[in-house]
This record gives sequence, C-alpha cells and structure tokens, in this order.
Amino acid sequence: MLAKLELKKHALTAISYMLPVVVTAGLLIAIGNLTGGSVIENYKQAYSVPDALVSLGVLGMGLLSPVIAGAIAYSIADRPGIGPGLFMGLIANSIGAGFLGGMLGGYLVGFFVKYLVKNLKLPKWAQGLMPMMIVPLLSTLVIGLLMYFLIGIPIVWATEALTSFLKGLQGSGSFVFGTLLGGMAALDFGGPVNKVASLFADGLLLEGVKEPEAVKILASMVPPFGVTISWVLSKVFRKNKYSNSEEENIKVAFPMGICMITEGVIPIAAVDPLRVIFSCTIGAAIGGGLSMMWGIGSPVPSGGLFIVPAMTDPLKFMLALGIGSVIAGVLLYLLKPVKSAEKEQAIVEEEEVDFSSVEIN
Amino acid sequence: MKIVGIAACTSGIAHTYIAKEKLVTAAKELGHEAHIETQGTIGTEDALTKAEIEAADVVIIAADIKIGGRERFKDKKVVEVPTSMVIKAPKKLLQTIEQKLNN
Repeated sequence: MLAKLELKKHALTAISYMLPVVVTAGLLIAIGNLTGGSVIENYKQAYSVPDALVSLGVLGMGLLSPVIAGAIAYSIADRPGIGPGLFMGLIANSIGAGFLGGMLGGYLVGFFVKYLVKNLKLPKWAQGLMPMMIVPLLSTLVIGLLMYFLIGIPIVWATEALTSFLKGLQGSGSFVFGTLLGGMAALDFGGPVNKVASLFADGLLLEGVKEPEAVKILASMVPPFGVTISWVLSKVFRKNKYSNSEEENIKVAFPMGICMITEGVIPIAAVDPLRVIFSCTIGAAIGGGLSMMWGIGSPVPSGGLFIVPAMTDPLKFMLALGIGSVIAGVLLYLLKPVKSAEKEQAIVEEEEVDFSSVEIN
Repeated sequence: MKIVGIAACTSGIAHTYIAKEKLVTAAKELGHEAHIETQGTIGTEDALTKAEIEAADVVIIAADIKIGGRERFKDKKVVEVPTSMVIKAPKKLLQTIEQKLNN
C-alpha cells in the first residue's frame, strides 16, 4: 500500500526540479555577497549590480518551497497538480513551515487533485470548467485552509523545534550531527541519500541555520578530493592501484570536485563500490563533524571552493575539508589492492540484484 | 527483442546517462536492440520516435523521478525500475525481462 503511493519518487522528482533553482539562487547570493552587495530594501532608491544579484538570489530562495510543493503535486497528479502545489508552497513560506511544510502541502494537494480528477463527475456542461476552475480552486481552497489552520501548526512547531535544536547543539552533539549529515551527503555521490541530506540543509538555510550547508558542501567535495589523494599516493609510492581508465576518470573528477559536483566520482566508485564508498563516507563524516563542531556556516548552498570565502570561517572550513579528504584518501589508498597486470582487463562483474519487484504492465 | 526506454535520475546529470549507456551496451551484447531517451536536467535528448516505439517489444523506464511523455506507451508492455537496478545489473535485468515476457 505504502509502496504504491511512491512517496519517495515524488520527493526525488521535487528535488530534481528544485536543484537548478537553489543552485542558481545560492550562487547569485554568493557572487553578490563577495562583491559587497546586500538585499535591496527599497527599490525606489539607487542600488548596485551586487545588490541586484543578492536580492535576486534571495527571491530565488523563496521559490524553494513553492517549487518543491508544485513538483511533488505534479509528480502525483500530473499537470493539474502544479498550480495548487505552488500555492501550498507559498503558504508554507508565509506561515513559517519551511520546506517541510512545502513537502507536506505538495503531497496532500497532489493526492487530493488526483482524487478529484478521477472521481469528480460533473454534468457535461461543466466539464470544460473542470481543469481550468473547479479542480484548481477546490483543491487549493480545501488543502490551503487545512494548511493554514490545522496541518501548518505542527509543521511550524516541528520546524522551529528542529531549528532551535540545531542552533543549540554544542560540542559533541554537533559533531555527531555533522558526522551524520556529512556521511549521508557523501554516501551515494549525488544519489537519493545525498539529495535528502542536501534538501535538509537547504531547507535549514531558509530558517537561518547555516552550518548544515557548510557540512553538505564539504561532504560533496571530500569524495573527489579523497580519490585524487589516494591516486596521488599510489603514484608517489609507485604502487599500481589504479587502471588507466580509472586514472582518466579521476582526472575528470577532481576539477568537478572543485565545483562541488560529487557525481564525478561515480565512475570510479562503480568499479569498486565498497572501498570507495566506505572511505569517502568516513572522510566526509569526520570532516562534516569537525565543520559542524567548529560552527562553520555557509550562507550559500553550493558553488564549491569558489564560495568558501563567503563562509563564516573560510580557514577552518579548508582545514576540515583537508582533514576529511586526507582521511578518505589515505583510507582508500590503504584499502585498494595492488593490481596485477592481467587483472586490468577483467570484466566488471554484475551485482546480484533482487528482480522480484520487476513487473511488466 | 526491440527495446525502447527512458532514463531519468534525480540530479539529471550523471546516473541518467550511465543508465542509458549500460542498457544500450547490455542490449547489444545480448543481441537486442535498444533506443533509450534521456530526460536529464538539460531536457530530453535522443527522443524516441513514433516508429521506434511502435516497433518495440517492451518499454523500459529506468527512472527515480516522474518522467514525461508516458502516454506514448499506452498500449505497450512497460517495465519500471530504478536507475540503480540498471546500473548494477543491466544484463541480468534484460534477461529477467525477456523471461517474463516469454511466460
């Protein structure tokens, strides 16, 4: 039953649509901040280009909840879901329910729209009004009021509790949280688990909690830097641990890592998943823990090394990043077996996968 | 078998294209023919043609997110799997599908 609802697929669809928005908004804020801009309070007075960039970025951040809610509802109910979903996101923004509220609103309105489209039977003369007026109005009104007066309240409460919990974290508590978030962000190199951690950090940024973003940025860069360090070590000690194609992939993964695109590591992890994932996750977890414990915050959600100067403590961030990457690199170097010459050509074995869920419809 | 399919992952920049590559290579090695459309963040690439869809024995949707243009496969046999399954074991997946189709 629960699997039938495909809740995860809807959330991933939302993240997929949200990513370009949040990355663009974050970079705009970063560029604007670094060039001395600040949010424009009054458009009737003169403002500079950096001011415009920061303001646009902040506006873009405000799109986060609406886009999440809209995309979730779209994923559930197809096109009729988009409009009502956007509304739910706006409600989440204004009542302070953040991205959690946006997600919940998106789910509720999506399923409601789907139900309406399927079950609402109207006389012929009114059918033309269905998609244009009846479905969007009815769903927005019903779920909207629910959000305002009923469901929104616990979500606002949960968001506030989460925010104050994170703000109140000290010492070992924050280290543990950072480890968890960092480990999650590195675990699957930009896959679903990383995106959940990412969404969580982006959502908290909207609430003014900046530390998780720094952890996320760090954890996204540790894997590419880690494999690069491990490769460099193998060169320095003249141990043949990487095949030619792996070397080529690492040369691509490193510059991608500088830009915080952790996906570059996938081809390297694909041929040796256990060792690569294990060492990268450990490195990112420790780096993330340190970053969180040292209270480093990032006002921007992405941009890699280029936005480090915008962080609250760039030096300490680089230190945490360095420690995490070195741990990942050394671990991977130690774990990697030396390749024998003939093994180079070995065909990658396929993994055992449970196909019982595969259905042909 | 003639296979058409769609690949789409969450970030739409990496797994989507790996899944496509794996499916096409595995199909070729097993003597099938596969056309895969990618729906990445950049948009749809290598879009399936009507003729390809009509000729296909099976449609494989390897996606973690909602895909566009599903109505194109209304009367076809459709298999839906996450991209991870295709990336991990493309050949075994195709063999499983072939078996289930023949039963």
